[in-house]
Amino acid sequence: MESMKPHIPPLKISKSNSNLSESSNDAKSIPSRFYSAWGSSEMTPPLTPKDTQDTNMDQPEAPRPVFHNYLRAFYPFHPAGNVSPSTVTLPLDQGDIILVHSVHTNGWADGTLLDSGNRGWLPTNYCEAYDQLPMRPLLKALTDFWDIIRGGCGSSLKDFGNQDLMRGPIAGVRFLLEKSECLTRESPLVRRFDGLRRIRKALLSDLSSLVKTAKKFQEVANGVPSEDEVEAILDEMLLKAFKIVTRGVRFLDVWNEEVGLSRTIAEMDGPGDSIDQYSMPPTPASESFNLGENDGPARSESRMLESRMESRMESRQMSHSRMDMSRSSMRTEMVDQRPVSVATKRVSISHRMSVSGPSTAISAQNLASERLGTTYDAFLGVLGSFIGLHMQSRSSTELVVTTQQAVQSCRQLLNVVEVVCEHDTHRSVFLEQARESMCEKLSELVHAARDVFRPAHLPDDDLVFMPDEGKRLVDAATDCVRAAGNCLAKARLVLEQIGDLELDPEHFEERGKDLPGIASPQDEPETRVEQERQELSPRLPPPPLQIPTTTYSPPTPALTDSTTPSSFQSHLSNSPANITAISSTPNSAILPTHLDNISSFSSADSNYPESHPKSDVSESFGRGVTSNGSSFTYHSHTRDSEMSGVSQTSTRATSPDIGGSFQGSFTVHSLKESLSYSTLAEENEETEANILEKTFAHELIYKEGSVMGGSLRALIEKLTAHQSTPDAMFVSTFYLTFRLFATPLEFAQALAERFEYIGDTPHAAGPVRLRVYNIFKGWLESHWRHDRDNTALDFIINFANTRLMVDLPTAGKRLLDLANKVSAVGGPLVPRLISSMGKTNTSIAQYIHPDTPLPPPVLGKKEHNLLRQWKNGEASITILDFDPLELARQLTIKESRIFCSILPEELLDTEWTRKTGSLAVNVRAMSTLSTDLAHLVADSILYLEEPKKRAATIKHWVKIANKCLELNNYDSLMAIICSLNLSMISRLKKTWDIVSQKTKTALEQLRSIVDVSRNYAVLRQRLQNHVPPCLPFVGTYLTDLTFVDHGNQSLRTLSTDDSEMAVINFDKHMKTARIISELQRFQIPYRLTEVPELQAWMQNELVRVRSNGETTAQTFYRRSLVLEPREPSRSGNTLQSQSESIPSMFDNAKDKFDFLSWTNQSKAKSVTTHG
Amino acid sequence: MRPQREYHIVVLGAGVPMRRAQFVQNVWIESYDPTIEDSYRKQIEVDGRQCILEILDTAGTEQFTAMRELYMKQGQGFLLVFSITSMSSLNELSELREQIIRIKDDENVPIVIVGNKSDLEEDRAVPRARAFGLSQKWGNAPYYETSARRRANVNEVFVDLCRQIIRKDSEGSRTSSDPNRKREGPNRHDRKRDNRRPRRRGPCVIL
Repeated sequence: MESMKPHIPPLKISKSNSNLSESSNDAKSIPSRFYSAWGSSEMTPPLTPKDTQDTNMDQPEAPRPVFHNYLRAFYPFHPAGNVSPSTVTLPLDQGDIILVHSVHTNGWADGTLLDSGNRGWLPTNYCEAYDQLPMRPLLKALTDFWDIIRGGCGSSLKDFGNQDLMRGPIAGVRFLLEKSECLTRESPLVRRFDGLRRIRKALLSDLSSLVKTAKKFQEVANGVPSEDEVEAILDEMLLKAFKIVTRGVRFLDVWNEEVGLSRTIAEMDGPGDSIDQYSMPPTPASESFNLGENDGPARSESRMLESRMESRMESRQMSHSRMDMSRSSMRTEMVDQRPVSVATKRVSISHRMSVSGPSTAISAQNLASERLGTTYDAFLGVLGSFIGLHMQSRSSTELVVTTQQAVQSCRQLLNVVEVVCEHDTHRSVFLEQARESMCEKLSELVHAARDVFRPAHLPDDDLVFMPDEGKRLVDAATDCVRAAGNCLAKARLVLEQIGDLELDPEHFEERGKDLPGIASPQDEPETRVEQERQELSPRLPPPPLQIPTTTYSPPTPALTDSTTPSSFQSHLSNSPANITAISSTPNSAILPTHLDNISSFSSADSNYPESHPKSDVSESFGRGVTSNGSSFTYHSHTRDSEMSGVSQTSTRATSPDIGGSFQGSFTVHSLKESLSYSTLAEENEETEANILEKTFAHELIYKEGSVMGGSLRALIEKLTAHQSTPDAMFVSTFYLTFRLFATPLEFAQALAERFEYIGDTPHAAGPVRLRVYNIFKGWLESHWRHDRDNTALDFIINFANTRLMVDLPTAGKRLLDLANKVSAVGGPLVPRLISSMGKTNTSIAQYIHPDTPLPPPVLGKKEHNLLRQWKNGEASITILDFDPLELARQLTIKESRIFCSILPEELLDTEWTRKTGSLAVNVRAMSTLSTDLAHLVADSILYLEEPKKRAATIKHWVKIANKCLELNNYDSLMAIICSLNLSMISRLKKTWDIVSQKTKTALEQLRSIVDVSRNYAVLRQRLQNHVPPCLPFVGTYLTDLTFVDHGNQSLRTLSTDDSEMAVINFDKHMKTARIISELQRFQIPYRLTEVPELQAWMQNELVRVRSNGETTAQTFYRRSLVLEPREPSRSGNTLQSQSESIPSMFDNAKDKFDFLSWTNQSKAKSVTTHG
Repeated sequence: MRPQREYHIVVLGAGVPMRRAQFVQNVWIESYDPTIEDSYRKQIEVDGRQCILEILDTAGTEQFTAMRELYMKQGQGFLLVFSITSMSSLNELSELREQIIRIKDDENVPIVIVGNKSDLEEDRAVPRARAFGLSQKWGNAPYYETSARRRANVNEVFVDLCRQIIRKDSEGSRTSSDPNRKREGPNRHDRKRDNRRPRRRGPCVIL
């Protein structure tokens, strides 16, 4: 594959188009991978087997090292500081797309974050190759774009002089839309999926913005631009190109979620059909070429982009001056253009109102405005393939076909235009001119095409048409686009003035056979467009058309469609505070057409009011979510991924996203708040279907968009919703905690019941049943607890055998297989992936190449000898004999081993506090080890007679603790510091007098890290930013879990109309699962070399101190008193008065160093305030 | 008006649920998140003075016995909580108190004994007399019975403890030159007087 270059070529990206043919061929050859998982193969061998689960399911080829131009962040990466001072790391959010320039052998890649344009180092193991087939041409185009602009040494301005640069992105977008069957606005998918429609719109608007900038660049380049000016615009273009790609990726995400599910089902029924399904509808059309028209909105969009860019750039190392230039130039542009842009906006608004009404009525098809839009779209679609694909070599026959299509569609367009002209010749003067201009351009196109075809007659040259030769063709096509756009705008204007009219279909068909011949010389269309626009504005607003409002918006003029709303969107994603401002911007004229968006706001980004009934807000709100939401969406993909096989694709299809989940929540809300929604004409049908569906959604409690509680069947319904998936956390929580609120058998029965009753709702039955199956499957595969769940096994087998087998035979068989395996195997089938939210995070580790040798133990001959002698009972050894680092390492290995084996169920229901029969063996082992270690510290100090030796041992422990900190081993650190802080140690004044100030300072620092005040604020803060390997202090998790468990009731009260019912407090379980997942995030073993001899000695020591049993503490205290007996307490000490709670005998020590002051920081503070 | 003060309260006692959650939140909350700041800080008014209490409760980590000292050192006042349904939970308090006194090296550490009452009186395993016996043994450490559900006495517990800490503070500054021992006299007396109210009140609250 083209984009998979050999491993590790440092930033060698070709600067020519030579790869293009390769890539296009390639693209055709593997359509089957279209709907498969993210990326095609792993960049690097995964750290643990766990993180391969996502990709390996439907991946035939073995992972091999390849160079990917694009990565997608799989996990957020927010390093606390730079990894090393000399490098710049690139913080990543989930779902971010990165253009990779080079990959270092250590796994770090030099990349540019498309979202922000920032460049830096990023860990490739946080990412996954992004190489989705539909995106390839677009990605490729961006690579080229980058190369030309950034690597473009020596390329003259003339290279950008034509619009060549733009064709790549345009073609890419088109390819994407085509592959996703969303080329035209009327395509079924776009009509059906609102989220898709919106993101498609935004994508096109981004594209138009880029083209706009490119045009501006052209103008600048034709003048005598300064270096800076050029640079600024190039930067701007690059960022816009980035944005397009980002948007494209999101588009594909949304597509996969919204459309993918139905495909999955189709695939299940007959895998062979799937490819056919994706073949293109024969009427391609595109909005991407009306770019020249929508000057104003596009500009406002670019303005938004610009401002966003500004804020992002400020902190970065990219040239500030350049950005300043770009900013200022943009501003002057804006000022100049403002009147125009406002005018255009108003045009678009009125268009929206007048044209968007009619749709379902058959008569509406013949309305002139309708027809105009359709034909225009069709024409542009065809021309789009001309321009867009011109760079790629292709067969001449294809070209012929496209040209014919172009002519045909152009004729149709001209037909409509002509009718409009005839209708009111008076006002159509401009239109007439535009039409003639268009005819001229079309004939030029036909001529050009004819010329190009000539070589095709030569026998040897039949197949390939060279891009160079097509130059003229492309230029002609571009001109056509312009002319057509112009024509359309005029025609629309006329229509608005004269009112819409119905076309006689027959009349329509007869016309225009001779059109391409018509040719009369015209002005340069470009300038005329400008003129026209100037003339248009004063006449606005035109009278609205008298068109009955119906349910679906017909193809509205691209002019309005792709631009205005997206600028709202960019507002919105900038700050939620803008909502009010925006809601006032669109006047009432817009509202009706956007009602269809209303339901989307219930998808609840918590920034926004959840169920705001105002449609104008919802419009912008929905958009805001769209743009913001996709990282979240992606997030859930990765998590859902633990469901394998079929579920892999199906969960993707339904992961919670804006478009998807709003429907789900709509179901719910429509029941509760049907009043406020029932007026929405556009949702009527769907609502109806939803209402007819049997549902227990009324038994759910929502708060801020998330499920707080519900009855078991309602929760199961949510778990298996067909229009949306609850997020992965919901699913994981279910698996993890369902045993706390239902028996396994109840759970299984509830699932089976769901399978049954959804049958009453035919349109939803398929997906829901598939989901039910998947839930069963995931349970058996990775969440099965033999100790608890075996009671449900018979039921599941029976269900698989009977009910499931009837409807989904394949699934039934698989489930049966699984159930049999489960009963045969003792452990989980798939490596334990409980609550995947934690485990999939396992690869958030510092990247270490698998081949990197483990660090060698710091252990010399002497130490080995000592250990051998100790083993033979010949010598006794102390910690002083070993290097602090090595001791810290061995401690870490020891603790890490226990920590990593903690199972989530040990953490449920305060299992670990159970006095007898606790299953939480590993949690118990952690606390035991921790206590033993603390005792060992005390023991090693207190059994030394000489203060000097004690001081030396203290020093050594401080060093060990420091090394533990370096290893991110907070658990051992905590134990050591605790121990050094024990009163029996801290009271040893004579000893501490000898301890050096340096050691005390170090200890003080360590202490401040494990400080318990403010609920371990320091420690928590640190952990938040850590990447594994890391050993957090388990105690904080245990405390949090305890409080969640005890602080939240297990039931909630749900008030229904006539009564109250107690439902499961799912929120409690979500909280629990979240804490557990946080702990699991760190369950990654360290890469350290174990020294068995040293481990043996340590183990022996730990066991020795443990054997003292319960009385250890008292023994130590007595020992401490023996070593340094109590002194009569001193008084008159300045510090004493300030802190009573500090035992007076410590005050001497305090005189020397403020060793204990940390315990009473706040008190010291408070005392100073009053004296 | 004096400036606000911050006091560190440590809640101890094994196996007693609903402690911090119940103490800190002034209303019974639907959803308790132990990690947010509101969950461990509480503002109360003690004798016309605003006090901020930072409450350290390490429930769930009882097995980390070595950590206990760390927590104890942090505290200026202690809530020793037991469950009235479990005699052993009462007995465990003695050991805790010993440890506190040892660590603080102070017989008069501000302590309040709290009998945590699940709403079911019939499950009571610790007679009130028993608890009062302990209270007297501990130099009349105030004893309260609280109810999580009804939020009975919760505030009183904190006010009492806070008052003890404040008194200790001011005594400390007055008698800073005195030896430790001497402070016990008035202190004990004070507390006796003070304790009458809570002692009377605690058991009398109808829950």
